[in-house]
Amino acid sequence: MMVIDKLAYSSSLRYKSPMLKSAFSVGSLLICVGARSFIVSVIILAVMAGLTVLSSKISILRYLKLMFIPFGFMVLSTIAIVVNITDWPMDLVSVPIGNKFLAISSYSLTEGARLVAVALASVSCLYFLTLTTSMLDILSVLKKLRCPKIMMELMMLIYRYIFVILDMAVAITTSQNCRLGNKDFMTELRSIGQMLAVLLIRSLKKSSLLFDSMESRCYDGEINVLSEHYPAQKRETIGVAGFLVSMLAIAVLL
Amino acid sequence: MKKNKRIIFTVSLAIALIFGSAGTASAMHIMEGFLPLNHCLVWGAVCIPFLIIGISSIRKIVERNRKTLLILVMVGAYAFVLSALKIPSVTGSSSHPTGTGLGAMLFGPTAMCVIGIIVLLFQAILLAHGGLTTLGANTFSMAIAGPFVAYGIYVVCNKLHAPKAVAVFLAASISNLFTYCVTAFQLALAHPAEIGGFRASFVEFLGIFAVTQMPLAIIEGLLAVIVIKGLEAYAKPELTALRYFEGGAI
Repeated sequence: MMVIDKLAYSSSLRYKSPMLKSAFSVGSLLICVGARSFIVSVIILAVMAGLTVLSSKISILRYLKLMFIPFGFMVLSTIAIVVNITDWPMDLVSVPIGNKFLAISSYSLTEGARLVAVALASVSCLYFLTLTTSMLDILSVLKKLRCPKIMMELMMLIYRYIFVILDMAVAITTSQNCRLGNKDFMTELRSIGQMLAVLLIRSLKKSSLLFDSMESRCYDGEINVLSEHYPAQKRETIGVAGFLVSMLAIAVLL
Repeated sequence: MKKNKRIIFTVSLAIALIFGSAGTASAMHIMEGFLPLNHCLVWGAVCIPFLIIGISSIRKIVERNRKTLLILVMVGAYAFVLSALKIPSVTGSSSHPTGTGLGAMLFGPTAMCVIGIIVLLFQAILLAHGGLTTLGANTFSMAIAGPFVAYGIYVVCNKLHAPKAVAVFLAASISNLFTYCVTAFQLALAHPAEIGGFRASFVEFLGIFAVTQMPLAIIEGLLAVIVIKGLEAYAKPELTALRYFEGGAI
């Protein structure tokens, strides 16, 4: 279920500076979304996909599968953008329905294609960050960017407890399935509802246990942990800066 | 003959792929890169006041009672897991609930706002649902608009002395539908149609997403009723502990 998290920990770029990786991926993301140009998107998509596949040693097929996660949303909304409902036919395709037309114009088609390119390139930027940087490293970047302390605290603990609760949920679902809790649609709905209720009760119990154990270790509203420091090498910084500047130049000039 | 067969096979495979995957990921997260940069910035700015109010009130409460921070942590982790689990859907595939309605009824809408933005960030990073640039827009639709509507409906229904099950069902399903309307609105604003502009594309987005969202909203309503009933049966004390959030404290 948490494939992305697992892959992040086994990436060969894991011990590179998280600040540099974030700057690289978020910078390219912003250029890509801001420029909305076909060429920039294709270059960024190629670079990001190449780097991600090589560094995390996953097969291209697996990477494509990950790229397919937001596919449903993309297909549906691109259809809405490409296809127009109009009173008169348009230049590319027109299908009459009643007294209206479902029509595609060459403008809307290129617009849709460009949007898909930008969206895929943006997703590849996001994947570069999430498949090479563990959640805790991303949080350390947010901390350096002066994210409010209480948010940091919440995020750190929530991340920790996602896995605990997920484990509980999976165990309950498995035991429900063993007892034919998914035999038809209504039964499945009822089992999932019951599972969610029990899950909430157990999580609240866990939180009170957690409070007791932290209180007994002198918790005063702040968790201080040592973070590992991975400095960026000069070569890498120059490479990233060069890439971002050249992308920006292409976006501005074209 | 052979070539024809191959073409038919490829086309049917493509159709199966499109419709098969369209059913699985129909939670209403706007994907990364789908909104222009200025829209991203504006939606982000809209969320900031809610976030500031939420953070300052959480800070106040945590000063008074430190245990509430850990309850909020569990709420956040629970909300994330809720959105990561698959619920059965009528099309045979599965889909993800938004969970915002349920969260708002249990913990109050302002707490859901701060928790919501964290959960959405985690969803983008860990599950690739939504994205970093669209975080503002998604926060507005799923962590602000949805919870406030759900909470409003729930309170009004209780004032009218409607049966609890009806109140919960209406709050959860209407907030799901409202979330999807807001998302369609955001998309139409960003991508107005060539002819007819914003209104035409708003109708189009509404129509297309209705196919997946209508059944989902009803399922989410039913699910919320089952969860609340279960909680009332087994966890009265825990629920009263949560009233702490509901009583306007956050």
